[in-house]
Amino acid sequence: MTAVVESCGVSVGWHMQPVLRDVNLCVYAGERLALVGANGCGKTTLLRALSGLERPLSGHIRWLDRELPQGPARVNVLGLLLQDERPSHFGVRDLVTLGLALDGVPTAAQRASVDTALSRSDLTALGNRSCLSLSGGEFQRALLARAWVAQPHLMVLDEPSNHLDPARQAELLRRLDQLHGTCAVLLSTHDLSLAASCDRVALLHAGRIDVVGAPQDVLTPARLARTLGARVQRLDDPSGGPPFFRVLCERQRESAS
Amino acid sequence: MTERRRGVVLLMAGALALLIVLGMSLGPTGVRAPWAWQDSIIGLRVPRVLLAAIVGGSLALSGVAMQALLQNDLADPYILGLAGGASVGAVSSLALWPTLPPGPAAALGAAGAVWVVRRLAGRLYDPLRLLLSGIAVSSILGSATGLILTLAPADRLLRSATFWLFGGFGTPQWSAIALPAALLLGVGAWMFQRSERLDRLSLGSDVATSLGVDLNATRRWVLLASVVLTAGAVAAAGLVGFVGLLAPHAARLVAGATHRRLLPLALLGGAALVVSADILARTAFAPREVPVGLLTATLGGPFFLFQLHRATGRADRRSA
Repeated sequence: MTAVVESCGVSVGWHMQPVLRDVNLCVYAGERLALVGANGCGKTTLLRALSGLERPLSGHIRWLDRELPQGPARVNVLGLLLQDERPSHFGVRDLVTLGLALDGVPTAAQRASVDTALSRSDLTALGNRSCLSLSGGEFQRALLARAWVAQPHLMVLDEPSNHLDPARQAELLRRLDQLHGTCAVLLSTHDLSLAASCDRVALLHAGRIDVVGAPQDVLTPARLARTLGARVQRLDDPSGGPPFFRVLCERQRESAS
Repeated sequence: MTERRRGVVLLMAGALALLIVLGMSLGPTGVRAPWAWQDSIIGLRVPRVLLAAIVGGSLALSGVAMQALLQNDLADPYILGLAGGASVGAVSSLALWPTLPPGPAAALGAAGAVWVVRRLAGRLYDPLRLLLSGIAVSSILGSATGLILTLAPADRLLRSATFWLFGGFGTPQWSAIALPAALLLGVGAWMFQRSERLDRLSLGSDVATSLGVDLNATRRWVLLASVVLTAGAVAAAGLVGFVGLLAPHAARLVAGATHRRLLPLALLGGAALVVSADILARTAFAPREVPVGLLTATLGGPFFLFQLHRATGRADRRSA
């Protein structure tokens, strides 16, 4: 299988203090991989390093067995959704068009790509609205549309289901399913059901990758208890869908015991 | 560009043309229609009104560039120490060589101050570091200006410096227009050609990088563009405040954040604002003339407060 991004012995941190240590991770073409871990375990830092935003203190990262292209060609390799982007005065269509990294007015074909991205994100009707007037969920969908408008080999999504209502979360999942096999997706999430819908899951704990594997092997109560520091009940869907997870807080744990 | 937005640009261009004609027709002695203009009007008022438009346009474009560079809609062309540097340069020039125009020294001072800010901010063009260094350098240079004004012996210096510090056009020769006009045309075209990179830059470092922007190179030329435009404007007219903040803001309300639409509208808006302020400066208290910068601030302040009120209301509604 072709690796879209591969990190070998990567440590990332600030002022020579590593936040992530010795990370070996490979995302293969067309697969969907979820990063799961407690707050502060280094998920976002790892995503930033794998997106070329942080330079590793040691180790190396390769994208399609090359360096990450600089300049506009970058968006053909990697589409990125960050957690903390704030709405701006850009119109929705303009924001999505920026995902093509053009230096000039878009051609008819490029406008058609934008139309497709808007339509797939259910944003066609909002195309001329200012991002400032959108709800959190609508803005998140606009950012997702911008990340995939150039049809990159890899999409890196930092908590993509943030701000989305249940219907939109289901829509996100459906969209990710459509991309399955054509575009690799690396996402971080606290939504264990979303993680369970991925091909593989990596559990991050204290700056290291604990385990990587199929969701049914990785998302077990024992492993999740270690990673998240909480007791987790896993409820398998008898109809074969992704399992449900119930995280028990201390009080629930006492009454359960 | 949608029909509505194209209409707004045409409307703005028409309004500016009308204001320019009005500015040329109005003077302390009353109104003189264009067909009755004499050589004295063409020689005195026409260069002045055109210079006002050029300075307004330059400051507006410089404001757009600075706001994209610092990812902050509250940034103005003077924020990185340009005003302080220009003031020290101009006041020193007025104190040491009272017969020479202070413009060149002001432009040099502005460029020098930005160079210092740039060095203090470190290797990268980090917006926060630039902003903090700019505030510190502005503060130091502000004190230096005050010190020169206090220690300089001539009272005339205080008067001419005060007039310069608030901006004004005097009676410029045609030759005085050439350089700022060339800078505005050249740098404006350069920025317009790179509109999409300004779009991506304004979204912040991480997003811009992920969208293929070479951050350091882009920030370097955006800073250079802003400094060149501001230095040209300051050399010609002193410190005309608020235009570089107000014109981009007002244009953004109509054109959105896309620089291909924002730049022309901000340029026209800035030019219209300064031409209007100059007309008022010449006529409101005739035969006395008030500094143009006082009027741009008087017009701009309430508008800005109104915008702030609107933005606060929007934020409140979002968080509710």
